[in-house]
Amino acid sequence: MENRIKNAMAAVFEISKKKISDDSSPDTIKSWDSLKHMNLVVSLEEEFKIQLTDEEIVEMINYQLIKLIIKEKMNK
Amino acid sequence: MKNLKYSEILRLNKELGANLKSSPYKITVLSNIIVHQLKEILEYLLRSEGINADVMIGDYDNVVQDSFKYKDSDLIIIFWELSDIIDGLQYKIELFDDNQLNAILKEKKSEIDLVLNNFKNTSLVLFNKFTSVQFSNLSIRKNNLDKLSDKLNKYLEEQLPVNVNLIDIQKVIVNVGISSSLDLRYYYSSKALYTIEFFKAYAEYIKPFIMSANGKAKKALMLDCDNTIWKGILGEDGFDNIEMSPKTKDGAIFSEIQSIVLSLNKQGILIGLCSKNNPGDVNQVIKSHPDMKLREEHITINKSNWSDKVTNLRQIAKELNIGLDSIVFIDDSSFEVNLIREKLPEITVLQVPERLYYYPKMLRENIGLFYNLSFTAEDKNKTQIYRQQVKRESVKNEFSNIEDYLASLELEMTIYEDDNSIIPRMSQMTQKTNQFNLTTKRYTEGDIRNFIMADDSKVFAFAASDKFGNSGITGLCIANVDWRHKAAEIDTFLMSCRIIGRNIEYSFMDYLMNFLNNDKIESVTSSYIKTNKNEQVKRFYDKCSFSLTKCTDIIRNYKLSLNRYKPKNYKYIKVK
Repeated sequence: MENRIKNAMAAVFEISKKKISDDSSPDTIKSWDSLKHMNLVVSLEEEFKIQLTDEEIVEMINYQLIKLIIKEKMNK
Repeated sequence: MKNLKYSEILRLNKELGANLKSSPYKITVLSNIIVHQLKEILEYLLRSEGINADVMIGDYDNVVQDSFKYKDSDLIIIFWELSDIIDGLQYKIELFDDNQLNAILKEKKSEIDLVLNNFKNTSLVLFNKFTSVQFSNLSIRKNNLDKLSDKLNKYLEEQLPVNVNLIDIQKVIVNVGISSSLDLRYYYSSKALYTIEFFKAYAEYIKPFIMSANGKAKKALMLDCDNTIWKGILGEDGFDNIEMSPKTKDGAIFSEIQSIVLSLNKQGILIGLCSKNNPGDVNQVIKSHPDMKLREEHITINKSNWSDKVTNLRQIAKELNIGLDSIVFIDDSSFEVNLIREKLPEITVLQVPERLYYYPKMLRENIGLFYNLSFTAEDKNKTQIYRQQVKRESVKNEFSNIEDYLASLELEMTIYEDDNSIIPRMSQMTQKTNQFNLTTKRYTEGDIRNFIMADDSKVFAFAASDKFGNSGITGLCIANVDWRHKAAEIDTFLMSCRIIGRNIEYSFMDYLMNFLNNDKIESVTSSYIKTNKNEQVKRFYDKCSFSLTKCTDIIRNYKLSLNRYKPKNYKYIKVK
């Protein structure tokens, strides 16, 4: 699962997968703006065949939280 | 693209972008909602076709302001969402009174005028028609949003400039389905209304316009016969048992297919047969089968024989003088379909679906391949013109020397100078001509009009005819003129392939050089820009007494002092 999330992030933010760590956030990834965030949400939804709520979307502010939210969503 | 995930499209698009070396095709999207996801989707779709698309999204809700800024784009897409021409219009409008409604209508009309006026010299504009369907699809009565949408569309249709094409976005929404098209979650938080699925369908829907503007529309449709234009196998079932009558279940499908093919033919698409059959048997069906719709006058080329289809299709491209990548081929057999896909990958191959009732739908879905921005008189007569060509070829063999043959043709050329009435045809020639085209610059009708109107450019075209018939307008030259320095530059010089080999190009050049000379021009520059297809004109300017000034792998620049020009003066070509 982590690999799939990283793939989506790498494609959306146009960065190398290796650069993504638990702390990766809009503060550490320059291209992570609100429009790119939208692209990330769409990519993750397609990847995991889920539909995120607007609360979840707002909470996904770093890689660690993204993992957590997707994991929870998948276990439901 | 339909099956690709968005993140895959982002990745593949980046890779394609890094590999494309051709000059960028600049697209600017103006919108009053957030449509940024269209960028990579449209880029990817076009880059996969070899068009180096560079899509730029204008500022949010700055349609009017941006229309002052992006006039230089190759293509402008206007994505004006009705529900957002005023924030929250979709719910506010039902409470408006007539005065308020009229005020909105008036204001929007003047904004439309302003935007279209700003883009009047832009090559191509795609303008989404207004639609209310996203919010009023369940409303039983026609509501105010519907009415406003109708009025604005009527206004657009009434005064549409030649460079603007309306896009029926409602059809795209219908194709995808309303709930799959809209992402209401983002609409309320970020003014982003549409889903990835919608943007994919939208990009596919407008692709034919862009393909045509880049000279990539298909020109010919080649068809297998057995189980492709009729049901059954002619050689086994026999003349009386093949089916294409609207009165039988399967026959009706083939009758519909033949009708769609006929309508393509009416739009100037060349139709041909490529089937493994006894030629005599197929000819008999074409001539006298009561249910056959495709007759001799519709079929430009018929390769019904026992040669393999790779050889036949290569031969067809050669005889029609078109590229393999201008051909679409339909067959029912997996063997033939895979063979052609493997051996002639330039050809677009369609297979008759196993579930026959999907066959007409499949063909309709692919009709965009043949879309032409300009539809002209030459298109209507094309089958005839190409059939004359085949006749000429057979007469050619009777003469031992080519000059005698040309003299026997009674060639005539009529020149048109800055003529507004043939703009669509001139634009179309720049978009479709690949082989006899020195610089391969593609121009829309708007571009050609600009050349005609400008003081420092001249546009010449010619129509050619001979004793077998009229080939219509088949040659074009655009020249930029610097009157002060008495210098001219040939921007475009091209000729349709169907009149190659008659020395008409030289008579045209004689005429042009004489014209410029009379206008006191002293020197002319020109160039040949190499493409995959125009090798045959590499040395055209050398043959016209121009001197080579610079030569690289891709470009050859020339210069000519007009007093050194040696006219060819072919006596057998009459110039009018």
